[in-house]
Amino acid sequence: MEVSHSVKERTIAENSLVILLQGLHGHVTTVDLRDESTATGRVTNVDAFMNMRLAEVTFTDRQGTASHLDELFVTGRNVRYVHIPDEVDIRATIERQLQAIHRVRYFGGRDKGRKEFPRTKHK
Amino acid sequence: GGAMSFLKRFPPPAEGVRHQQPDTEAVLAGRTLGAGTLYIAESRLSWLENSGVGFSLDYPTISLHAVSRDLNAYPWEHLYVMVNAKFEEETKEASMAEGEEEEEDSDDDVEPIAEFRFVPSDKSALEAMFSAMCECQALHPDPDDEDSDNDYEGEEYDVEAHELEQGDIPTFYTYEEGLSHLTAEGQATLERLEGMLAQSVSSQYNMAGVRTEDSIREFEDGMEVDIAPVVAGQFEDAEVDH
Repeated sequence: MEVSHSVKERTIAENSLVILLQGLHGHVTTVDLRDESTATGRVTNVDAFMNMRLAEVTFTDRQGTASHLDELFVTGRNVRYVHIPDEVDIRATIERQLQAIHRVRYFGGRDKGRKEFPRTKHK
Repeated sequence: GGAMSFLKRFPPPAEGVRHQQPDTEAVLAGRTLGAGTLYIAESRLSWLENSGVGFSLDYPTISLHAVSRDLNAYPWEHLYVMVNAKFEEETKEASMAEGEEEEEDSDDDVEPIAEFRFVPSDKSALEAMFSAMCECQALHPDPDDEDSDNDYEGEEYDVEAHELEQGDIPTFYTYEEGLSHLTAEGQATLERLEGMLAQSVSSQYNMAGVRTEDSIREFEDGMEVDIAPVVAGQFEDAEVDH
């Protein structure tokens, strides 16, 4: 699994369901886009803004025409749904991603200065 | 076709150019705009025909981009870019031919979409072009995103230093550190607890971390103090939480 090198992105991921999508690396997933086209491919990266990178994609445009794309990058804004594959254990995936983030965060040891971003809104 | 009025003359970008691909054809909705150079810069995506006119696309308007090598879909390998905007080539003839305008109930329901294809003469450059665009796109997160909680502002801060400043947030200390943080009252409580521990150790078997009925009642005030073992050796193999 991959954890972002950016402190800010880790904080965002840790506090939203993007963390689940980040756990889908390597899985073939269908993404429904805002314009009603769909892309089915292997997830190679998801960042904290839900920008998604897929490989070996079958892309079906909004008119229903299918084509193959070697690689696709879709902006988070244009993602409507992500179909979580059946074989994915959602809870285990989230826990695994959280552990990966914590390993990165505490790598330097507790006294080495764990840095995070304060949140402007308190929920 | 006729002149594309959105084409303008401008100097090529000089700063933050992550990738530059010469000898690249630009195609909009199936109509070629000519041959030129594609500039993938951090601020925007620009294409300039060899004559010096061209156009720029802002990353927030780009919905997606992709590498297409499917020659059944389009006869040349290219970088496909879908833009959430209208360009003047969307004449009535063009949109009728695509068949979608007829089915629209209103313009508000359907998002404008323009499809650009950038066809480099050097196919092997497509990966680098794609990656450069991914990097630049990531620099422009959606400003309109009101749903997300992603408003983290200010400087990164050291979590431990912050927590130590918060008097009311419970923190765990080692025995030595903790002693210096105890008030007089705290010291008294500590002595009382240590006394109790000494008593309970002698009268019954205590596993580290397991509280007896007596100790649970006494610890009700929620004070968590890491107490060093009173009887040397009794808790030698205990796991002590720091």
